[in-house]
Amino acid sequence: MAFLIDLTKCIGCEACTLACKQENGLPPGATDKLSAVTWTVIQRHGGVNVKLQCNHCVDPACVSVCPVAALEKTDLEAVIYHEDRCIGCRYCIMACPFSVPKYEWYSTQPRVRKCTHCFPRLGRGEEPACTAACPTGAAKYGKREELIEEAKKRIEDNPGRYVDHIYGLTEAGGTCALYLSAVPFADLGFATIRTDTTYPHLTWNVLRQLPSVVSVGGVGLAGLWWITHRRMELAEERAHQAAKRTESEEEKPK
Amino acid sequence: MKRLAEIPRWWAFTALILLVGAYAMWIRFTQGLGAASNLHDGFPWGFWVGMDVLVGVGLAAGGFTIAATVYVLNLKKYEPVSRPSLLTAFLGYLLVSAALLVDIGRPLRLYHPLIMWNPRSVMFEVAWCVTLYTTVLALEFSPLVFEKLGWRWPLKAIRAIYLPLVIAGVLLSTLHQSSLGTLFLIVPEKLHGLWYSPVLPAFFFVSAIAAGLSMTIVESFVSSRVFSRRLEHDVLLGLARATVVILAVYVTWRFTDLATRGNLHLAFQYSQQSVLFWAEIGFGAVLPLLLMLASGDRIKERNLFFYALLVVAGFVLNRVNVSMTGMRNIETYFPKWSEVAITLFFVVAGVVLFGLAVRQFDVFAKSEYVEPGTTPRMGWFPKGSLLAVAAFFVALVLLVRAAPSRSELEARLRPAPSQLAMQVEPLGDPTVNLPRDLTIEGSANSPGKVVFSHANHIAMQEKVSCLECHERTFGMGFAHSPRLQGDQWHQACGTCHDGKKASTSVNDETGESCSTCHQSQ
Repeated sequence: MAFLIDLTKCIGCEACTLACKQENGLPPGATDKLSAVTWTVIQRHGGVNVKLQCNHCVDPACVSVCPVAALEKTDLEAVIYHEDRCIGCRYCIMACPFSVPKYEWYSTQPRVRKCTHCFPRLGRGEEPACTAACPTGAAKYGKREELIEEAKKRIEDNPGRYVDHIYGLTEAGGTCALYLSAVPFADLGFATIRTDTTYPHLTWNVLRQLPSVVSVGGVGLAGLWWITHRRMELAEERAHQAAKRTESEEEKPK
Repeated sequence: MKRLAEIPRWWAFTALILLVGAYAMWIRFTQGLGAASNLHDGFPWGFWVGMDVLVGVGLAAGGFTIAATVYVLNLKKYEPVSRPSLLTAFLGYLLVSAALLVDIGRPLRLYHPLIMWNPRSVMFEVAWCVTLYTTVLALEFSPLVFEKLGWRWPLKAIRAIYLPLVIAGVLLSTLHQSSLGTLFLIVPEKLHGLWYSPVLPAFFFVSAIAAGLSMTIVESFVSSRVFSRRLEHDVLLGLARATVVILAVYVTWRFTDLATRGNLHLAFQYSQQSVLFWAEIGFGAVLPLLLMLASGDRIKERNLFFYALLVVAGFVLNRVNVSMTGMRNIETYFPKWSEVAITLFFVVAGVVLFGLAVRQFDVFAKSEYVEPGTTPRMGWFPKGSLLAVAAFFVALVLLVRAAPSRSELEARLRPAPSQLAMQVEPLGDPTVNLPRDLTIEGSANSPGKVVFSHANHIAMQEKVSCLECHERTFGMGFAHSPRLQGDQWHQACGTCHDGKKASTSVNDETGESCSTCHQSQ
């Protein structure tokens, strides 16, 4: 499932932020940017209001980097966090191209915090709290494929209203938050990031060589040892024979 | 006598560092990572990941390199260095593991990667390799313990499997030394183009070998002063030659890679990163490489020590650049005193443990080392070399501070954003679903009910925001929030209706403004 966020419809009322805080029991405050206590936020760029939350990438960097599988991409497309597994290495925070996951820096038992796509609500067949609260339909919830079709249709049906770019269609290999805008996304603080491949591929391309390194390296090292060891044995043997020869030569004159 | 007088001063210094480090750790474990470091959401990995993990593991690379040289390549000439480098590696990995307990948010779960798998994660692979390799190092080191205890049978058993053990150690090291570079392949936009490269894993591996060999040279020099054990000139020369070749390969590869990826111009663009790049490559690789080449076979031990120290410094700088100074947002991060204090704690703990281990176990196989007393003593402490390296880093910090930062340069390139006009006028757009008006029935002695208009209040706002009133004043349950009673309404509305922010005041004692809100029945 996915979000379609039409920035031309957002009035910046922050009902989504409010609903998110209420749904997830987050304390008030810190509503100027994403934080450990604010999982969706409205950022104002001139007159354009931009709703940010976890983009729930199709192939998320955070899920791939987590050494203990504390982050999971569920069947419902939500990227969720299992806090009982997390060791706190913060690689997910490092790896996320959208800088979404946040950390509880001042806790002695810190957790990674981020939008869960309201996973518990999805399980009950409800839509996420933020889209349910949106009074203008700027944030809409639905199937990714259907929302892509709808976004394309909106661009086609309203010439001049949108730039011809669905942010999230190919960014980071595709995300489950699709954005429409009237102005270029770069002007709205959206990261210009790679669209040719998903992020996990960058590390997986190296990591998948592991069996080759181990097998080829192991055989190669054993081979090197065999050559050098045999060379040493031969050298010893030759020295031994040479010693014998000199011995027998010394014996001859007797 | 002079040397004896200096020892207590060094012990006091050591104790001070350990105490300050312990205090910093107390802060970290009682108040969290945020209190003990300057790390934040925009810069989640800092000094500890850079120094304790990347540098620590890299400098311990001498262990597997020398083991491979002696036991796989059968170059028995290097046997005298195998035990000291093995001890360095073993202590290094133990300390890296200890430092991880400080760095990770939930230290008691350090073992989780062993039972909760994610084979797609580089960190998972590193965790396994480091665990396995530390085990291998413990086994490789165990003969020294068995010798000391005089246990013949275990000694025999270990010797029987020593070659497979060494090969396993070399493979595990190859994997995780390079994987520490692979960690950063997933941040192509965050890591500066002078360091980000698809072959970063290979660079990490090659540079770790050069640093490991140089570290072995440095150690030999230090142990010649502290324990009166020194390596034969021939062995040191061999280590230096290997370092030269590996550095030459490394430098050539770095520049070829930059050129083929079209990033070479970044080295000639005046920026903090280009200054750091030339310091790292120029002073930490090319300069020692040329100096070692020029010195030839008759190189003085003291000079060789300095050159090796330069290589180590260059290596440290490389890891710092990849993990910190080459990373986006570095402008928002500078390590806190407690971060440095904890790292120093582990460095000093390593040196102390090394000294203790040398006294307990037969680390320097006596017969193969030059006997004590044959070394002309050249002063207790290599002051000159260390001062030179320290001065280099101070000068570097000043030069970097003077250069334009990455965010400045990126801001210069960014086009000025166009004037962005509001797309939707919320009150004029019929599709906007504004919340309905609310009727508040008056209580017993109220002058009448109040009809609250959302539309009017939104029209008064500078920016449309539900949060403005609903975050705190009227509660978060905005679907049916007003569960307020009687005078609570006065209190809540009074947050704005105080006669200043909004002209009507709920506290108007004359009662004239009551009718602004209250409608008499």
